[in-house]
Amino acid sequence: MEPAVSNGRLEVSCGNKIPKSTPCPRPVPGEASGGCSFDGAQITLIPIADAAHLVHGPIACLGNSWESRGSLSSGPELSAYGFTTDLGEQDIIFGSEQKLHESIRYIVSRFAPPAVFVYTTCVTALTGEDIEGVCKAESERLGTPIIPVNSPGFVGSKNLGTRLAGDVLFQHIIGSTEPEQTTSHDINLIGEYNIAGEMWHIERLMQQAGMSILSRITGDGRFREVGWAHRAKANMVVCSRALLGLAVQMERKYGIPYFEGSFYGAKETSYSLRQMAYLTGDRDVERRVDKLAAREEMRLSLELEPYRKQLKGKRAVLYTGGVKSWSVITALQELGIKVVGVGTNKSTAEDVSRIADRIGDDAEYIPEGGARQILKTVRSRKADMVIAGGRNMYMALKEQIPFVDINQERHKAYAGYDGLLSLAKQLVHTLQHPVWELTAKLAPWEEETEFAD
Amino acid sequence: MSERPNIVDHNQLFRQDKYVRQREEKRAFEAPCSPEEVTDTLEYTKTKEYKDKNFARTAVVVNPAKACQPLGAVMAALGFEKTLPFIHGSQGCTAYFRSHLARHFKEPVPAVSTSMTEDAAVFGGMRNLIDGIENCIALYQPEMIAVCTTCMAEVIGDDLSAFLANARQEGVLPEDMPVPFANTPSFSGSHITGYDAMLRSVLETLYNKSGRTAQPGHELKLNVLLGFDGYTGNFAEMRRMLGMFGATYTILGDHSSNFDSGATGEYSYYYGGTPLEDVPKAADAAGTLAIQQYSLRKTLGYMKQTWGQQVSSISTPLGIRATDRLLEEISRLSGREIPEALKQERARIVDAMMDSHAYLHGKRVAMAGDPDMLIGLIGFCLELGMEPVHIVCSNGDRKFEKEAELLLKSSPYGAEATVHSGQDLWHMRSLLFQDPVDLAIGSSHLKFAAKEAEIPLLRVGFPIFDRHHLHRYPIIGYQGALNLLTQFVNTILDVMEEQAPDHSFDLVR
Repeated sequence: MEPAVSNGRLEVSCGNKIPKSTPCPRPVPGEASGGCSFDGAQITLIPIADAAHLVHGPIACLGNSWESRGSLSSGPELSAYGFTTDLGEQDIIFGSEQKLHESIRYIVSRFAPPAVFVYTTCVTALTGEDIEGVCKAESERLGTPIIPVNSPGFVGSKNLGTRLAGDVLFQHIIGSTEPEQTTSHDINLIGEYNIAGEMWHIERLMQQAGMSILSRITGDGRFREVGWAHRAKANMVVCSRALLGLAVQMERKYGIPYFEGSFYGAKETSYSLRQMAYLTGDRDVERRVDKLAAREEMRLSLELEPYRKQLKGKRAVLYTGGVKSWSVITALQELGIKVVGVGTNKSTAEDVSRIADRIGDDAEYIPEGGARQILKTVRSRKADMVIAGGRNMYMALKEQIPFVDINQERHKAYAGYDGLLSLAKQLVHTLQHPVWELTAKLAPWEEETEFAD
Repeated sequence: MSERPNIVDHNQLFRQDKYVRQREEKRAFEAPCSPEEVTDTLEYTKTKEYKDKNFARTAVVVNPAKACQPLGAVMAALGFEKTLPFIHGSQGCTAYFRSHLARHFKEPVPAVSTSMTEDAAVFGGMRNLIDGIENCIALYQPEMIAVCTTCMAEVIGDDLSAFLANARQEGVLPEDMPVPFANTPSFSGSHITGYDAMLRSVLETLYNKSGRTAQPGHELKLNVLLGFDGYTGNFAEMRRMLGMFGATYTILGDHSSNFDSGATGEYSYYYGGTPLEDVPKAADAAGTLAIQQYSLRKTLGYMKQTWGQQVSSISTPLGIRATDRLLEEISRLSGREIPEALKQERARIVDAMMDSHAYLHGKRVAMAGDPDMLIGLIGFCLELGMEPVHIVCSNGDRKFEKEAELLLKSSPYGAEATVHSGQDLWHMRSLLFQDPVDLAIGSSHLKFAAKEAEIPLLRVGFPIFDRHHLHRYPIIGYQGALNLLTQFVNTILDVMEEQAPDHSFDLVR
C-alpha cells in the first residue's frame, strides 16, 4: 500500500521511477494523440456547475467539445452552457480584448454566475492577449470573480492541463470564502469529477461513517464551496495524480494532510475510507468506518457471488487514462478477472509502479497509443474483453471484442461498493450478449464450404 | 437464458430515495435564491425584453451550432483510399475531431497530429511536421497524407508548402506520395469551408501529379460530389439511384465506407474511399453533379476553371421537388432517361405523404443546421404543409439568406419564417419562447433548447450524438424523403399519444 500521509515528500513534478513509461510524456508528432492542456484544464474545472466557463478563442476549442463530459450536477447547470468568443480573422489581426470584456459583461449581466472562468486557447496565447488584465479589470468592475485559466493547448498534454487547473484553484479560489460551519470530520475530495454520479455513492458512504465532504473538487462542485476548501481536516486525492500538486500545496500552506486513494473496488474503497477516518483523528469515526467496511464487504461478497463465478479467469485488456489504469486493476482482480494488458500511455511513473505492484510482469504494458497495439495485445494474450474509453470502443468492436466503457461518456457509476457490483453486472452482461455468439460462428454458407473441403 | 443482471444507469439509480434526500440536503446551501426567484428569472428569460437583449449580444457566442474547419478537412480526407488525415497544430484539436466524428458515426476515426508545443510556437512547427510525417508513415502506412492546419499553425504563419518540400528533400517524405494540404484556421469559416478546402486540394494535388490534361466530356462518366455529409446512407442511396439510371460515375470524396464498415473481426485504418487513381481520370468526365453548394464552392470553382467541367450543383435534395430536380440533372448530364422504377417510387412516396399529411399540415417548425441541409429541409417542410418559422444557420452567409428567403416566399407556408444566419442556439432558445412552434429540427445540440421549450426534436443533420443509426438511413432522394417522413410523422404521433387523455387514446391513427 501507499504511504498514508505525505509529509510534503512528493513534488508536483512527475518523479522519475521508470519502468516502461517515461513520466509526463511529451506528445509525439505523427501519432494519434490524446487531448491537450486546454482540454485537461476544462475538464477539471467544468464540473464546477454554477460557474460560467468562457472559452476565449476561435470556434474550434468549444465548437467541438461542449456538453460532452459525463460530470453530473445535482443542481445548477450553467457549466453545461457553451460560451465562446468565437474569434474571427479580424479579432486575430486587431486584437480581441474588447470582445472579451464585452463577453464577460454579457455573461455576468444575463446569467449572474458566482464566477466566470476564462480559458486561454492556443490562439489567444499566441496573439498575446492580456487575459489576466481583462479578468482583473472586470472582476473589479463587476464584483464577480473572473478567473483566468492559462492553459493553452500547445503547452502540453491533458495531464499538464489538469495540473494547471489545480494551480488556478489554489491561487485564485481556495481560501477565498469561509464555510458557514465546519466539523472535525470535513474532507475534501480532490480529482473526483462525478462521472455518471459516482461521487454520490462516495458521499453516502462518508455520511454513513459520520464524515462529510467540505469541498468537492470538482465533481458536482460549487464555486463558493471550492473557496472554503482550506478549512478541511484532510484531503483525499481521488484517482487523479494530476491534482496531486494541489494537495501538496494545500498541505504546505494550510497544513492539511492528504492521501491518495481510489474508490474502484471494495478493498480500495475500504482503504480510502479508513485513511479519511484516520486523518480526522477521531477514534469513533474510525470504528464506524471499520464496521461499515466490514458490513459492506460482507454484503458485497454475497451479492457478487453469482457474478464472480461467471467472471473468474476471464482475461481483460485495460486501456484507460492515468490513475484508473491501476485502480481499476484492483477492482477487476477482486472479481477474479486477470488483467493481461494495460495501457500506460497517460500514466505517470508513479502510476506505472502501482500497476507493477498489482500485476507485476504478468501483463503486457502498452506504452503507446494506437489501436494496433491494443489489438495485438488482445490477440497475443488471448483476452476476452477490452475495457477502455470511447475513442477505442469502435475499433474493439470492429474486431468483435466485447467492450466495456470505463471513461467519461458512460452512464453507469462504478465507484464504491455498489459500484463494484454494477461493474460486475455490466461485465457479465457484456460478455453474455448473444452477438458474440453470432460473431464467433461463420455464416452458414461459409460453414458449408468448410464441410465441402 | 442465464440470469439477467439488473443494471441500472444513473437515470434510475439516483432517483432512489436515499440519493434524492442526499441531494436535497446539499441544496440547502447551494441555492440561496428562493424558488420563487428562480421561477421568476426563468420566466423573465422567456420574455420579449430578454429576447431583445439576447439579440443585441455581439461579443459572445452561447451554445454554438458549428464546428471548425479542420474537422471538415478530416472528413474530406477520409473520402479517399488509404488516406491519413494529418493535422498540423497542437494535439488536442485532433483528439476532438476524432471523438466528434466517432460519436456521430459510431466508428473509429484515424487521424494524427503534429503535436506542436511551446517550442514549436516559438520556432515554428517544421520539425514537428517532418518528424510527424516520418512517424505516421512508419506507423500507419498511408498512401496519401492529407495535411490541414489548426489556428495555432496559422497564427504563427507556418508555411506548409515549404515544410513539405523540405520533408521531401530530407527524404522523409517519398517523392511519389501525394500530400494535399489545406489552410484551415478555425477563426474563419466552419466545418463546411474546411471540407471544401481539403477536397479541392486533394483533387488539385492528384490531378497535377498525374501530369494529364483535362479533356472534359471525353468520358461518359459523371463526377458526383456529396459534400460534408453526415449520412453514410446518402452515399448508398446515390449509388442506387445512379445504378437505376445505368449511369457510370465516380464519387469524389466517398467517406461512407470509412464511416460505415463491417465488423469483420479485423480492424483496419482504411476501409475504402475514392481510389486515388480515379481522381485525375475524373477530369475527363461528362459532367459534375454536386448535391451541396455551400460546402463545395472552392472545389466546384476549381473543377469548372481548371478542368473545364460542366458543373451542376443543387442543395441537399430532400423531399419530392428537390429529388425531381436531382433526377433531371442526372438525366441531363448522363443523357439517360429517368428510369420507370424511380417514377413509381416517386408515386409511392407521394402516396405516403398523403397518408400522413393530416398530422403534419400546419405544424410550425424551428430548424438549425448547415446551409445546404437547411435549404433542403425548408423545401421538404413546405411540401409537407409544415411551416418553417425560425431558421438559424450559424455558418450561413448573405447568399444563403437570400436563397432561403426566396424559397420561403415560393409558398404560403413560408410566410411567417425568419432566417437568422450567424446566430447561435441561445438565440434559438429566445425564438422558441417568444414565438412558440410545434417541432424543432436539427442536430443533437438543439436538444437542450427543444426540451426547455417542451417540443420534440427531430434529429436531422450533424452531429447526432444521442441517437443510433440515423446516419445509416438515407435522407436524400425519394427513399430518403420516406425515411424523414416516417421519422417526422411518428414522432408527432408519439407526442400525441403521450398527451392523449383516455378518451382520445385511439387505436387507429
